[in-house]
Amino acid sequence: MNTRPRPEALTLLRHGSAIAVADLAAVYTWRTWLFGWLVRMLSQVVFFTLIGRLTGGDERFLVTGNALMVCAVEATMVVASSAWERSLGTLPLLVAAPARLAWTFVVRSLQWVISGTATSLVALFALGPVFGLRWTAGSACAAVPLVLLTSLGTYCVGLALAAFVADRPGLRNVVSNVAYLGMMAVCGVQVPVHYWPPPVRAVAQALPLTHELDALRGVLDGAPPVHVLLQALLGAVTGAGWLAVAVLGFGWVARRGRRTGAIEFGT
Amino acid sequence: MNAFRAGLGLQAALLRRSPGDLHILATVPLYTLILLAMTDAPHRPGLAPDAIIAPTLMALWSTALFTAGDLIDRDRYNGTLEPTVAAPAGLAQVVAGRISAVTATGLLAFAEAWAVGRCFGVHLTVRHPLPLVLGILATSLTTACTAAVIAALLVLTRGGRPYQNSLSFPLYLLSGIVVPIGELPHWLHPVSRLVYLSWSADLLRSAFRAGPPRDLPVQLLALGLLAAAGLACAGVLLRRVLARVRVLGTLGHA
Repeated sequence: MNTRPRPEALTLLRHGSAIAVADLAAVYTWRTWLFGWLVRMLSQVVFFTLIGRLTGGDERFLVTGNALMVCAVEATMVVASSAWERSLGTLPLLVAAPARLAWTFVVRSLQWVISGTATSLVALFALGPVFGLRWTAGSACAAVPLVLLTSLGTYCVGLALAAFVADRPGLRNVVSNVAYLGMMAVCGVQVPVHYWPPPVRAVAQALPLTHELDALRGVLDGAPPVHVLLQALLGAVTGAGWLAVAVLGFGWVARRGRRTGAIEFGT
Repeated sequence: MNAFRAGLGLQAALLRRSPGDLHILATVPLYTLILLAMTDAPHRPGLAPDAIIAPTLMALWSTALFTAGDLIDRDRYNGTLEPTVAAPAGLAQVVAGRISAVTATGLLAFAEAWAVGRCFGVHLTVRHPLPLVLGILATSLTTACTAAVIAALLVLTRGGRPYQNSLSFPLYLLSGIVVPIGELPHWLHPVSRLVYLSWSADLLRSAFRAGPPRDLPVQLLALGLLAAAGLACAGVLLRRVLARVRVLGTLGHA
């Protein structure tokens, strides 16, 4: 019988978030975030949006997609930061701790959600108007939760992938890069989802970014609120689905790690 | 030459054992697919070569920035810089060999992008083979020289590392590898021309165009000058790195 006391979810969230914030402070100073990271991401948005000028494409469509995409790029960094635990040799300690491994990982990399949301909002509100986006107080207020939902949803996609690369931490960068570029390709960021063949469209429907982006474009184009809410909800539901996959995946990692010892130091 | 070959062999063996270091190559098919889909515009035909050349240049620059750029610092972190410096072979030749191996691996991106293009139904016709071959060689050389500068700089300036990741898209934008430099503000044009990728992109694109590659000599000269400047800069920086880590006693694990 398991007699270990289970920590409260809020305690876990508090401790995990403290680690996330400490990690964020270790990775960036305000100067490196502003002049390094933000400049890089805004350049990415401009790079892809200007291609629309070259091809005669819709710049509003591109700037909206690419500005929202930057939070997805950052959220998928959870694949790499989860793998750090293995290379730091702290995974066995986390497995031995009373808290469930899955929930530890869920809260441990939330720094990417915070930073990603901020980056996307700067891109939408600062770069968007340069490429034709017109914000009202109402649309700007609606955009904030949609960006946060996108960050959280793609974070859950990244978490699920992180569980599956726990045994191969050397592949963390391959998996996270392929994941966000795959989303960039199929979720309607650069070209509409219907550009792709039906099987690819079906994959896109399983990704939160597709629905949240549709909702955001709906907000900007004055679509009926029901449509926006429905898409936002669909994004949240798919994100929750990925979270469930991640929780199951990390549970499997913990059980397998205890049995085989495959949670020791590794790179 | 032996030291160069040894560096080349060592890095090839390391890359074989650490596929994660080649993660940039995994991004090439996706970037190619994205750019081909974006430039699949019926009223603007002829953009396919740009969509195939751009991801290859992005991959070359990224390998220079992340894999080759980290070489010396990673050796230092692993504690292998000390025995490398103590060995009779010159550090510069070993590093040059290792960077060449990374750059050569980055060239696989050309084949990847080409293959994705074929799957997408794009059949590129090389109209001027000589500029294509010279362009690839000159770009590889300049990439390797620039990577050597980055490798030395990242050891010398600890504050530079957080900005390493920031040197990707701003440079892609500046160098006009997809969107021509003409679309950028006029005052940025001279800055763009300091980025070797701008000359590489123009040179490689000219190999697929019907008109004669009239600017070939200028483009090759520019790439040669930028490579020479990079090499000279890397030489000076590498000497400073060695002098500094010896004086500070930080040659070993740091």
